[in-house]
Parts: sequence; C-alpha cells; structure tokens
Amino acid sequence: MANESEIFSDPDFQRLLAKRSRWRWSLSGALIGIYFTYCLAGIYFKDAFSQPAIGTSITWGIVLGYLVIALAIVLSMVYIRVIGRLYDVGLHGRESQQ
Amino acid sequence: MIGSGPNVSAILVFITFILASLGITYWAAKRTRSTGEFYTAGSKITGAQNGFALAGDFMSAASFLGVTGLIFIGGADALLFVVGVIVSWAFILFAFAERMRNLGRYTFADIVAFRLQPERLRTFAAVGALTVAIPYLIAQMVGAGSLIETLFGLPYFVAVLVVGGLMTIYVAFGGMLATTWVQVVKAGLLLAGATALFVLAMAQFGFDFEAMFSNAAEAHPRGRIILGPGGLYDDPINVISIALAFVCGTAGLPHVLMRFFTVPDAKQARRSIGYAVVIIGYFQCLIVVVGFASIGLLMGDADYVDASGRIAGGANMVSVYLSRVVGGELFYGLISAVAFATILAVVAGILLSASAAVAHDLYAKVIRRGDISDSDEVKVSRVVTVLLGIGTIGLSLWFKDINVGILATIALAVAASVNFPAIFLALFWKDLTTRGAVAGGITGLVVVVVLIILSPVVWVSALGNPIAIFPYSYPTLFSIGAAFFVTIAVSLSDKSKRAQTDRAAYDVQTVRCELGPSEAAD
Repeated sequence: MANESEIFSDPDFQRLLAKRSRWRWSLSGALIGIYFTYCLAGIYFKDAFSQPAIGTSITWGIVLGYLVIALAIVLSMVYIRVIGRLYDVGLHGRESQQ
Repeated sequence: MIGSGPNVSAILVFITFILASLGITYWAAKRTRSTGEFYTAGSKITGAQNGFALAGDFMSAASFLGVTGLIFIGGADALLFVVGVIVSWAFILFAFAERMRNLGRYTFADIVAFRLQPERLRTFAAVGALTVAIPYLIAQMVGAGSLIETLFGLPYFVAVLVVGGLMTIYVAFGGMLATTWVQVVKAGLLLAGATALFVLAMAQFGFDFEAMFSNAAEAHPRGRIILGPGGLYDDPINVISIALAFVCGTAGLPHVLMRFFTVPDAKQARRSIGYAVVIIGYFQCLIVVVGFASIGLLMGDADYVDASGRIAGGANMVSVYLSRVVGGELFYGLISAVAFATILAVVAGILLSASAAVAHDLYAKVIRRGDISDSDEVKVSRVVTVLLGIGTIGLSLWFKDINVGILATIALAVAASVNFPAIFLALFWKDLTTRGAVAGGITGLVVVVVLIILSPVVWVSALGNPIAIFPYSYPTLFSIGAAFFVTIAVSLSDKSKRAQTDRAAYDVQTVRCELGPSEAAD
C-alpha cells in the first residue's frame, strides 16, 4: 500500500495537481468574474443595458443574461470533456477504471 | 374567482402523485437497512438519476413560483437570480464535485472533519446544517400550506399536516433512495409542466418573442423599466451580496452536498452535475419567458390582479394563475398539483439532511464517539426524522404568518456565510486550523443573524421601526467577508498543538481528494 504522503511528494502527482488546479481556478474565476461583471454592469451601464438588442423590446440586459447562462453550460461541458479525462486517468497515466 | 372551490383535476393528479410516491417509499424501505443505504442510498445512484435529483432540488417552489413572481413585480432584475443559480452549479462542478465525492461519505461534516478535530467540527457542521435546514423547511411548509389553502380549499393546518406527514414518511421509511426517486419523478413532471406552460403562453403571442416582451412593457404599470436593470435593485452592495449568496450559498446547502455521496465515484459525481447544469439551465431559460409572458396575460385581469397591481394570494401564484389563463381548468389543475409535488419533494431532501446532521454527526459521532452499531444508528435516524418532522409541523403552524422570503434569505445567507467558508478553506487552504474554522463559523452565523434583524426587511417591515440600522436588505457581502477574515486571522495566529496536526494532514487530504480512496490505497 503506497503511503499518501509519499504520493504527495511524487513529481507525477504534483504535475497532475498543478494541471487540475489551473483548470479549476481559471474556469471558476472566469465564470464568476463574468457573472459579477454582468451584475454590476446592470447598475453602472443601466441605460445601455436597457437599450433593445433585438427588435424593439428585447434588451441587452436580457440577451447578455441568456448568454451568461449559455456560457456556464458550455464551460461545464468543456470541463466534463477535458478535465474529466484528467480525473479518470490515474496517477501514472493508466485508466483508473472503465 | 380563484379559490372558489376544489379543482377536481388538481386533486386527481395530486392523489396519483401521492400514491406513486408512497409506492416508491414502500419499494425503497425494503432496500434501506444500513446507515449507508439510509443516508446515501448505498452510493448506487447513477449520474443521470442524481443529475435529475439535484436539478429537482433547485427547481423548487422558489424558482418555479418565486422567480416568475419576481419578474411579474420587477422585471429583468430577476435575471440576477436566474443566472446566479446556473453559475453556482458550474462553480460547484469546477471546484468541488470530485473532491467532495472522494473525501466524504455521508454528510459535508466528513469534509470539514477530515483533518480538523472531528468532534468539534462535526458539532459545528451539524449546527450549520440545522440553521440552514430548519428555516428552509418552515419556509417551504408555510408556502405549501398557503398554496394548498388557495388551490384545494383545504384549511391551512390540514395542508401543513399533509405535507409534513408525507415528507416524514418518505424519509423515515425510504431514506435517501425514496427521497431521490420522489425528486426524480417530480423533476420530470416539473420539466414537462414548465415546457407546456411555456408553449401555451408563447402560443398566445404566435411564438413572437418580440411581441411578448413589448406586450409585457405595455401592460406593466412601470412600463419599459421592467425590460432593463434596476426594477428591483439599484445599489451595487445589495447586488454583490445577492450574487455572492448564490455563488457561495449553493455550495453550502447541506441537502445538495449530501447528494454527492449518493453516486459511486468522482466520475459519476461530475456527470451528475453535468446533467443538473443542462436541466436547470433549460428550466431557467423557460421560466424567464413564462414570467414576462405572465405580465401581459395577467396584468389588468381583475380576477388575479387588483387595481393597485397586487396579485391575489401573493406573487408566488403567478405561474399557477397563468396556467389557468392559457390552458383552462384542466391544465390549471395539473400545474397546481405539480407545484405541490415540487414542494413535497424538496422538503423531503431537506429533512433528510437535518436528520443526518442530528443522528449521524451529533449523536453517533460526537455523543457516542462512533461507538454505535449500524442497525442502532439507522433506528436512531428514523426516530430523529419523525421528531424533526413533528417539530417542523409544529413550527409551521405556529409561524403561519411569517414572511417566507425572509426565511429563505436567512437559509441561503447562512449556507454562504457559515458552511461555505469552512468547506472551501478546509479543501483548499493548508493553514486552516480547528480553532480558526470554529471561530470563523460562529462569526459568520452571528453576523448574518444580526444584520438580517437590523436590515430593512425585518427592522422596518416586520418590527415597525422607522429607519433600518443596517441599510442593506442582503447581508452576505459583510457576513462572508467577516467569516473568511476571522477564520484566516485565527488560523494564522493559532500556535496550538492541534493546529500542527491540522496543517500536517493537508497533504494526505489532498491526495485523497484528487485520487479518491481506491487509487490512494493501492
């Protein structure tokens, strides 16, 4: 049985950890940043957000809100496709289970 | 006029749902004997099933009834909530899902107690779970009681007894297996119902979105303001607090966190959130359109909205009224029954998380120090479930006139300010210590409760004082900030022996989190 603190100092584990952390924080940071920007932009650019984007009544505020929802779904799918592989492939590159 | 008498189709659909859910409970009860089966359905739920169950927890009365009501009153600002929900789920997927599954077993206390002093952290986590669960339960039950009173013509106390009794039966006998399947069935019903409502409402406008939005702006007393931001909130502090409550609060809800442990491994945990994100995203997109469509279709109809713009039975009734206007009596009955099933399925999940906090974390792990047989713990859990069920029914009868919105705000704010900082720092910050986590948690709880009491919602509206001492309606920015600050400051200054143990175990915890118990053990 491999010791967990030995695994922790294994360079392979450190590389895996670094790769996963990069994805985790860049995706989370980007999405949360965009959401907060959207929320605050509604206050500071109220007039622009109230302008119609499509036709005469569908405003930028509504359109951008839907776009942030779409972005969250797309990023989630990217995460599941790309990072999922990083999780399912074990420490030394072998498939953990299929 | 609404509420003139019981609706036959609503009662038929509802009785069918009750019979089906009791059938599920009977089936599940025979498969629920061990603690693992009771709390987490033996971790045998698939990713797809769990995705529907998680989505079901979130497509609660709050979004189906609450968000449409909010759009009806204030328009596009409700998008802050709608977008916030989906962002919070993506955040849980990126940062928590796999790590939580790899580290935990039954409750989120497993995460915070992994390397910190277990008895203190389990007590802390149980208190955190209960301060979220109890206000949520009361809010949902009071809401359900009033809804049934209006729709079925049953007295309030009968309605609360029905909801409370059924939820207790599901959980006490069927544990997590029954709770999950009831939630899956309801999620299917609600998706179908919301889709039908969307189609029927848009058919009134010939599926022309432009016409629908224009119509809403013309019909609404506030006019085009409702199409842009500012209809509900216009100061940045409140808006940031709301956004933070969503982003952090969802990841601190005990009944949501518990569902991560019902799937076999990290891969299925990830897949379940993938399903949940898509389902919830679809649902949120529909509900915004339904909300705006209801403005044009209900505003000015004296049966539902009086001259001053007040909605009969409260803003939560908007979706239900809309179903009657666009689909007639039969469809109205269907949607009413679905709304009721929604509340029932959600309260069952919350009750289970409260029972697990008391029976597993407090009783089995702290009071008995783990010295209890598996079958005894299941018995204790069932007794605790019944006691909590009775307690909640009593409180809901007592607090009949409480403002449901305040209770829901408290629950999400506590989840964000007490549970989230502890979970987040336990997972990602090596220097977190037992003393820091407990001190930060207590700070978060005290700040949330005090600020809500001093805020305009309670201090002015409920207590009748002229000016609020705390000017913002939402406390989360301040309470999360205070909780993180105290946790970090106390942890860094903690020189105790326990603190060294807490920090030393972080490496082992990280290996477990990333690789899971099986990989780490070979």
